[in-house]
Amino acid sequence: MIRSFEKRAEQKISGFQSPAADYLEGRLDITDRLVIDPHSTFYFQMEGEDMQSFGISGGDILIVDRSLTATHGAVVVAFLAGAFSCRVFLSENSGALLKNDQDVARETEIGSLQIWGVVTSVCRNMLPKALRTGRYSNVCTL
Amino acid sequence: MFALCDCNNFYASAERLFRPELNGRPVVVLSNNDGCVIARSEEAKACGIKMGDPEFLVRDLIKKFAIQVFSSNYVLYGDMSERVMHQLSRWFPRLDVYSIDEAFGWLGGVRELESYVPRIRESVVRNTGIPVSIGVAPTKTLAKLANKMSKKSGGVLVLDSEEKITAAVREFPVHELWGVGRQHYKKFEALGIRTAAELRDMPEMWFKQHMTIMGQRMWNELWGRPAIPLEQVREVKKGITVSRSFRNYIEQPEILAEAVTLYASRLAEKLRREKLRCLYLQVFLYTNKNREDHPQHFPSHTHKLLIASNSTTDLVGVAVRVSAKLFRHGVKYRKAGVIATGLVPESELQLNAFFDHDGGKKDTVSAVLDKLNLAFGRGTLRMASEGYEKKWRLKHEYLSKGYTTRWSDIIKVK
Repeated sequence: MIRSFEKRAEQKISGFQSPAADYLEGRLDITDRLVIDPHSTFYFQMEGEDMQSFGISGGDILIVDRSLTATHGAVVVAFLAGAFSCRVFLSENSGALLKNDQDVARETEIGSLQIWGVVTSVCRNMLPKALRTGRYSNVCTL
Repeated sequence: MFALCDCNNFYASAERLFRPELNGRPVVVLSNNDGCVIARSEEAKACGIKMGDPEFLVRDLIKKFAIQVFSSNYVLYGDMSERVMHQLSRWFPRLDVYSIDEAFGWLGGVRELESYVPRIRESVVRNTGIPVSIGVAPTKTLAKLANKMSKKSGGVLVLDSEEKITAAVREFPVHELWGVGRQHYKKFEALGIRTAAELRDMPEMWFKQHMTIMGQRMWNELWGRPAIPLEQVREVKKGITVSRSFRNYIEQPEILAEAVTLYASRLAEKLRREKLRCLYLQVFLYTNKNREDHPQHFPSHTHKLLIASNSTTDLVGVAVRVSAKLFRHGVKYRKAGVIATGLVPESELQLNAFFDHDGGKKDTVSAVLDKLNLAFGRGTLRMASEGYEKKWRLKHEYLSKGYTTRWSDIIKVK
C-alpha cells in the first residue's frame, strides 16, 4: 500500500506554469470499474482449480457484490456443504443448480441454495515468478 | 414520520455472516477482555444466557448447549455498521446514526409506507447480510416502540394511524419504553401502570408534577405529537477517552508505563482524526473492586498542558509522568485510562507569550506517524515506551478475523 504515500510532486513553479494545469482531471483508477458499490462489495480468494473452465484459477481474488441476485450463468460465492464455495449458478427446467468442474449441487437434492453474493470480476496476478519481487510481490497477493 | 432501524443482535449477526454454518445455532459475543456477554443470537437467548452475564458464570451453559463464543471484534463490527448506515442513508432524506447498530430516519413526504418500508429492509438485508428491523411512527418514542414490536412481525411495523398506535401501546410493556429507567419503572409499578397505554392515559398534570421534562416529552410522543427532534449535528465532543482493562493485574510501574503509552498514543491519534487538541489530560487507574482481599486504589489526576496539544510525544510524556505519580507499590491495578478534555479545534491555537512553541515540529512528527501507520498498519511506528511484549494486552481468545478490513484475512473459497 505505497499508494497512500504518493502525493503529486508539489507544484512550486520555478519556471513556466504548466499549460496543462487548468486541465487536470485525475488519473484513471481501476476500482471505478471493478467495485461498483463498495458498501455491498466483499472479497474472497479462489483456492484450487475447480473453476478453471469458467476462467477462474487458484489465487484469483474474487470481487463479490451482495446487492445482485444471481441469474442463469452468474458466477457466485455460495455456502455449500459447510464451506464457502465458488460455483456457476444455472437455472434449468428441472430447478436451479450450482456447478464447478468437479460436481453439481442441485436445489432439488440439497434444498435451498445458499447464495452469498455474485462474483462481478476477478483479479489475477500475471507476473512470472522472476518478477514477483520487492513491491511487485504484492500484486494480487494477500 | 420517524423510522427507527436497528440491527438484530448486531455483533452476533456480524459474526454469523462470515460463518454461515452457525445460522440457527446459539452464538454469544463477549465484551473487551472476554469479560461478559454483550450480544446473543436468538438461540443463545433461548438457552438462558442473559445480557451482561460474566463469562465464567455461563461456562456450563456454553458447554451444555455447544454455544459458539466470540471475543468482540470491533474492527469487523465497525465496518459492517458503516455498510448498514450507508445503505440506510440511501433511503432516508435525513438519517441520524444513534449508535453502532441503530439509526433514526426521517420519512417526511414519503407515501405508501406499507410498501416502501419493507423495501428498505429487504435491500439493507440483501446488500449487507445483516438482519435489520424497522419501526415507523409519528414520533421517535413510538418509532422505537414499533421497532421492538416489529421483531415479532417480520421486521417491519408501520404505525401510521390512530387505531394502529392505540392497539400497539395497549400491549406494550411500560418498562420497555424508550427512556424509562429503573427509577421511573418503580414509580409506575407502584401506581399499577403496566402498559404504555396506561401511562399515556395519565393526566398531563400528573406528568408535570411527578416527572422531569423528559417525562412530559414522552407523554406527548406517546400521543403522536413529536417532542424529540431528529438530531442533525452531533454535539461537539466534550472529552475523548481511551481506557482498557489489563489481561492480568499490573504491579510494576514500568509495565504500567507501557500500557499508558499505548493509550495516550491512541488518544493523540483520535484527537488528530477529529482535528482537535486538548488542554487537559486526565489519567486514572483502577483496581478490581470485586476483590475485597486486594488493597483498593482508584487514583486520578488531571494535568493542565501549557498549550493545547494533540501530539503523541506531548501526551505520552504527560500520561507516563502522571501515571508514575499515581502508582502505588503493592497494589494490583486492573485498568487504566486517559481522558482528553478542554478540547479546542486544531485551527484555534492559543500561544503563550512566555513559552517557546515548537508545535510545528511536533505536528510534522505526528503527521509522519499517522501516515506510516495508515500505510503499513497500526503500531508500525510507535513510542518505544510502549514496550514489545505487551503482556498486559487484553484477552481475546475467541477473536474472529478482519474479513472485510485485512487482505490476509479474506475468506478462501474452493
